[in-house]
Amino acid sequence: MNAVKQVFGTDFRQFTMVFALVALLLGFHLASGGKMLTPGNMQNLIAGNAYVLILAIGMVMVIVIGHIDLSVGSVAGFVGMCVALSARDLHFPWWAALLAGLVIGALIGCWHGFWLAKIGIPGFITTLAGMMLFRGGVIWISGSVSVPVPPELNVLGAGYLPEWGPAWTYLNNSTLLLGILAIALYAWSQISTYRRRVADGESGLNFTAVIIRVVLVGAVLAYVTFLFGSGRPGTSFPVPGLILVALVIIYHVITQRTTFGRHIYAVGGNKQAAALSGVSVNRVYFLVMMNMSFLAALAGILFVARATSAGPSDGNMWELDAIAAVFIGGAAVSGGIGTVTATMIGGLVMATLNSGLFLMGVGQDKTQVIKGLVLLAAVAFDVYNKQQGRPSISGRLFGDRTKSESTTEPVQIAPTTPGATGQ
Amino acid sequence: MKTTKTVTSMTTVKRRTFALGGVAAASSLLLAACGGGRTAEDTGGGDSGAGGGFDADATVGVSLPWLGTQNWAEAQDLFTAQLKEAGFTALVQAADNKVPQQQQQIEAMVQQGAKAIVVGPIDGTQLGSALKAAKDAGVRIIGYDRLIENTDAVDAVVQFGSIRTGELQGQSLLDGLAERKGEGPYNIELFGGGPADPNAPNFFTGAMSVLQPKIDDGTVVVVSGQVDFQQAATQDWDNGKAQSRMDSILAANYSDKQIDGVLSPNDGIARAIITSCTAAGQDVPVVDGLDAETESITSIWKGDQYSTVHKPTKDLVAKTIEIISAYQKGEEPPAADETENNGTIDVPIYALDPVVVTKENAKEVFADDPDRLALLDG
Repeated sequence: MNAVKQVFGTDFRQFTMVFALVALLLGFHLASGGKMLTPGNMQNLIAGNAYVLILAIGMVMVIVIGHIDLSVGSVAGFVGMCVALSARDLHFPWWAALLAGLVIGALIGCWHGFWLAKIGIPGFITTLAGMMLFRGGVIWISGSVSVPVPPELNVLGAGYLPEWGPAWTYLNNSTLLLGILAIALYAWSQISTYRRRVADGESGLNFTAVIIRVVLVGAVLAYVTFLFGSGRPGTSFPVPGLILVALVIIYHVITQRTTFGRHIYAVGGNKQAAALSGVSVNRVYFLVMMNMSFLAALAGILFVARATSAGPSDGNMWELDAIAAVFIGGAAVSGGIGTVTATMIGGLVMATLNSGLFLMGVGQDKTQVIKGLVLLAAVAFDVYNKQQGRPSISGRLFGDRTKSESTTEPVQIAPTTPGATGQ
Repeated sequence: MKTTKTVTSMTTVKRRTFALGGVAAASSLLLAACGGGRTAEDTGGGDSGAGGGFDADATVGVSLPWLGTQNWAEAQDLFTAQLKEAGFTALVQAADNKVPQQQQQIEAMVQQGAKAIVVGPIDGTQLGSALKAAKDAGVRIIGYDRLIENTDAVDAVVQFGSIRTGELQGQSLLDGLAERKGEGPYNIELFGGGPADPNAPNFFTGAMSVLQPKIDDGTVVVVSGQVDFQQAATQDWDNGKAQSRMDSILAANYSDKQIDGVLSPNDGIARAIITSCTAAGQDVPVVDGLDAETESITSIWKGDQYSTVHKPTKDLVAKTIEIISAYQKGEEPPAADETENNGTIDVPIYALDPVVVTKENAKEVFADDPDRLALLDG
């Protein structure tokens, strides 16, 4: 019963964070005199925060298994520097440097996984050591001097999709095609799920609700397509954003739809019970830690690709940005709860705050204060929701509508549908 | 608890995987397809190149690295006031010494329609993409106080000659030793600035060009033997790190020796060094500095810190605004003093000359600077 409640809580929370995100975007758009929801700004927002969001994908999995990874910033900085140095000093071509970086990331992950899973040192300690180790490492190998990265890599961190086809669309046609594909895939998956359920003889399904949901989500996707596609010619949905979306889809599927994903939640929810049910806890620990450092490597590479050079202080404090995104996204400190999509929403809330406050010309001092309060408020809201013996806010606001919605609706990639399902 | 919904969703796995494959295939096609599509003429994006000029009340962005030292805080105030005075809309921000924040800040300034952006970079090599986006939008970019490297998206750099600054620091240290410590040989130690700041190695190089001959002929002795910039560097210009390094050098090398002088790259580090020496029971050594910070001027007046190199922020800001005004009118900017290769292009450099301040000439140097002059009473 408690677990079921928690699922409702998380789901409801995910929607409230989506509302919060939309409210922030609109609020800043109005307050800044229409500068927030512009193609250029949104492209910057995605491209400039892709590295944090990628870190957060790995971090939510680490936090779900009940650990934390403090080393991700140092690992990202270390790998970025390795890529830059291997290209400059060892004359690797850009693709070999890139591959070498990813391999080094995975190896570092094995190192962390080894200490956590085989020796049994808590992740906090293992990665605290890793944080110092690799921060020292990056300063050591770089001699404290910034090193330029191969210019070919720039496209990964700051590139755009090509312009092609007819000019009368007034949009970047690559973005347009992706948008159309996304809408079509969403509509197709919704309708085929509905058909299958009907075929399975499930009762109480409402086809109108499905259609309304498809139309609403389709409209949002169409707007997003327009927003990213209508920028200055030569710009589109940014390449780092595309990498991010691909990763989100892959990791959403891994965590929500595979045996391994269920093992992650099982281990995080109750380690002993999971072990007794035949889940190899150590294997899960090892793979999740390895994956985290691999993603940190990718984030570090995207960052140096965008910055055009790798610096000795790259990655400083990134772990905290990633951790904040995860908790704003509703993950539980005790483990077992948290999803990739909700974490992305949490990360985007932080990114939007950053971007909006920049646009308003608010100083760094006040920005930090505001971000701190938002983190606290988001988690406090979560804790309040879950306190026992008290009707939750979600229960009060949505009554049994939340219940019917959550039972019929698996977690959505674009969870903008409570209005539709409430029909 | 996640298992409750897997019954219905397991069948979607294959479909999703299939869909993923479709997306991947489509996007690879996309990347292969080139040519056609929109061109820059379609919407007229990216107006004005060189020589275009812009509105007299246009927005001018100033992105500073942080406000943690007095010279940057002063720059913030001066830019805000003087840009306003010159008729521009000022947008002055600081980035808390974090590179990603500075990148986003510059991009936000472009979004806010800035026509010129002044950048005091945290790391002069790491702003490539942000500055390119600014340049593509027709924004003029001026590096402030530090060289911007590795990009062609920079129109000019205004700074104090950094090698020259180092020479002045080294010379001042030697003068101070002769004045306060009598005959040599002198025991000294060397400190450098933050290695990510392109000025820091230049300061050190300049200072060493003066000190090296004296080290070679034995007039001064670097007792710890740490004479490379990498050994002497202070990560992030962090005073605390400099103090720890001084503590350990004193503990390891000066138990039976007197330290006579220390080369310091700036005032904060100079004060950290003096604190460390005093705590270790040493006499106050001869220490130079940089930036003429309030506390250091007080210290010089008291006779602790020997000297500081004053880089009048006022002059630097005034020069920067002079150049922006020329851009605004569409005129040629004043002739640059020199050019320096930044790894991609030769950047015009406007180099101002700094001033050494000691107790003797302090009143003279700060004659028209009431705030600092007030420190010299009593």
